[in-house]
Amino acid sequence: MMATTAAREDAPQIQAPPQPLARSPRILSARRFGTVIGLAALSVALWILTPHFLTVSNLLNVAEQTSTNAVVAVGMTFVILSAGIDLSVGSIVALSGVVLGTALQAGHSIGLAVAESLAVGAACGVANGALISWGRLPPFIVTLGTMSVARGAALLYTEGRPVSGFDASFRMIATGRIGFVPAPVLATIVIYLVAYVALTRTTFGRYVYAIGGNEEATRLSGVPVRLHKTMVYGVSGLASALAAIILTARLNSAQPIAGMMYELDAIAATVIGGTSLTGGEGTLGGTLVGALIMGVLRNGLNLLGVSSFLQQIVIGAVIVGAVLLDRILKHRD
Amino acid sequence: MTPPILEMRGICKTFPGVVALDGVDLTLRAGEVHMLLGENGAGKSTLMKILSGAYRADRGEIRMRGQAVDIASPRDALALGIRVIYQELSLVPQLSVAENIFLGSLPARGPGFVDRARLHADAARVLADLDVALDPRTPVSRLGVALRQMVEIARALASTAAAQTAVLVMDEPTSALTSREVAQLFTLVERLASRGVSIVYITHRLDEVFRIGRRITVLRDGRHVTTQPIEDVSVGELVRLMANRELTDHFPKVAAPLGEELLRVEHLTRRGALADVSFAVRAGEVVGIAGLLGAGRTELARAIFGADRLDDGRVIVGGQMVRFASPADAIGHGIGLLPEDRKADGLVSGLTTTRNIALPHARRLARFGLLGGSADHSLAAPIASELRIKATATQPVRLLSGGNQQKVVLGKWLAGGVRIFIFDEPTRGIDVASKVEIYQLMNRLTARGAGVVMISSELPELLGMSDRILVMHRGRLRAEFARADANEERVLTAALGLAG
Repeated sequence: MMATTAAREDAPQIQAPPQPLARSPRILSARRFGTVIGLAALSVALWILTPHFLTVSNLLNVAEQTSTNAVVAVGMTFVILSAGIDLSVGSIVALSGVVLGTALQAGHSIGLAVAESLAVGAACGVANGALISWGRLPPFIVTLGTMSVARGAALLYTEGRPVSGFDASFRMIATGRIGFVPAPVLATIVIYLVAYVALTRTTFGRYVYAIGGNEEATRLSGVPVRLHKTMVYGVSGLASALAAIILTARLNSAQPIAGMMYELDAIAATVIGGTSLTGGEGTLGGTLVGALIMGVLRNGLNLLGVSSFLQQIVIGAVIVGAVLLDRILKHRD
Repeated sequence: MTPPILEMRGICKTFPGVVALDGVDLTLRAGEVHMLLGENGAGKSTLMKILSGAYRADRGEIRMRGQAVDIASPRDALALGIRVIYQELSLVPQLSVAENIFLGSLPARGPGFVDRARLHADAARVLADLDVALDPRTPVSRLGVALRQMVEIARALASTAAAQTAVLVMDEPTSALTSREVAQLFTLVERLASRGVSIVYITHRLDEVFRIGRRITVLRDGRHVTTQPIEDVSVGELVRLMANRELTDHFPKVAAPLGEELLRVEHLTRRGALADVSFAVRAGEVVGIAGLLGAGRTELARAIFGADRLDDGRVIVGGQMVRFASPADAIGHGIGLLPEDRKADGLVSGLTTTRNIALPHARRLARFGLLGGSADHSLAAPIASELRIKATATQPVRLLSGGNQQKVVLGKWLAGGVRIFIFDEPTRGIDVASKVEIYQLMNRLTARGAGVVMISSELPELLGMSDRILVMHRGRLRAEFARADANEERVLTAALGLAG
């Protein structure tokens, strides 16, 4: 406190008008809205190419299909912002899904079953984070291991068989509507709002950006870096479990082989959304747009009757192209 | 007299805010060992980087054997027969000695296959030529520092570039060697010189200057001071040549009344870095810490701050013994560190000024875990204005000038009850105006009863701002001077490890 006393004599200069560097804000905004413009352009193109695209039912369908990936990508955004990576999300979706399904079949209440599922997902994430932070292991290796372990655990737990047939009350999570909006879409919006507040308005969120930007400087600022890195992976595990709940309700079935390749879709959504793989830079809004671009693209290619083989090629090209564009814009900055 | 192999004339180089070289000359004769001397920051490394093509001079000319040459890239320098052995060794530990020597020009047989027989024969010849007993097949990872240095030299000489090695630059080659290894290296240096290779030898160890040097060139503050034969100077004169400089009056030191003891460290030891360091800091006091690169000053700062583990010793803050497991503990006891490398350790370069300043205080600012939109701004804005940080609210700090960046790192510790400031090279690489502002800030801090530990490689700054100067040499405190007793010569003599 002592140092701030003499400070009030001068007008605060931090608000001073921009220096000659003024070019950068424009480019920053081009970067921020680049993905939104991409999504809009994609939608307009599909609208012209196929009449079915721009119908309320199809758009709600896209939103609902996107919800699982979008929720997993929330956790991935936290992880990538902290300069890490989480390859285990798909397997955690499967494991927390089958835990949920078995609990429901065993007669647990919906609330209890959901809580068990969330606990398993978060525990997997915390285990990842603890090994990365205190074991000083690379995130790639740790989460690659968990990817296999959690998948194996899910298969072992169910003896490889899907668990299906749940009460209509549980299925409301997928079939329910408020107004005309499907419940999974609402759930996704709520999850994004909560995560947005956590990322932008809490100390935890602040530290996530700082750790990803410069871990050593953050540590030397007195931030308990290892604790917060562990929490980051915990959030990712929790997000995967939330996605598992939505997915299980939608399919009316929990499958130990669910969530295959989810890690790649989540990474793609995050990166298309402008989050830097080197950490410290990115937004949740970008990730949501990234997930929507992936969803709209899949939907549009289906409507156009493009073969699933060709779809893979197009999606791969879009991922690389989006990141390349981001790199070029950043380079100009 | 032999004509000069190399002439550098009137070399000038300016970095933003700093004149690194101002009309420097260097003349090198064939087969001489030429000692390039000067304090930290005198311009030795910059001059050598210009010679090796890493930097381009703003002005000045370079002649080799009387011919004007243009060295625009490291490739040009290699083609002219200029080789540099850097302080940080640049070998690939997993590869063999022979592979390292010829890395980049491996002898080939057929499409892409390495001709191992020729590789090993060539390497053996180069090593034998240098009289180094070493099997070319040995992986470099198994060699000690001295032998790695030999491999590095062998590589410099064996390079298959068009020109033979004419000039070899060695930058502090003995800093990691034992005395026996040093003798081995010197034999090699002398053999090279006797073959006509001219050697530029940079060192802080004055005994070495007299052991193998033929002539000396002294730089000071980017200017050429003198070039003369080694016989014409004594140790004392050499120290004076390197140090002598009028104290300029841009050190606005205001002595504050000394108060109670804030920090005391006893017998701090960290293997390989610190040995038995003890000192104390009182309220209102600036304790300067002098020493050459590698003397253990940064290690001392990090150890006090809890950033590195201690092997032995204790830290006492405000009369109480404390144990810091992490920087967070040290900050909790009112210690703030301004790290030496602000980009690597001080700043999160993608975040704004406000976010960086608020980083250590986020937890205190939060209410129920939530940070209001203006909480960090109301913390950071007065600090930014006190320090006159020129930045907009949305600018990431990487876009700020060096001086402003340094002020941001300082600003992190101006809130939240920090009373002991450890400044590691607080003015390195920043412009003069910002330097003066930082000195004035130090005055304000001590006036408010804070204690400052200032590590610096700039002697004038230490002499100008410290109440007391401690001198470190190879991890130990070597000398202590009160403000009135300190002068450049005495501090430098102690820092060089000479009796004095």
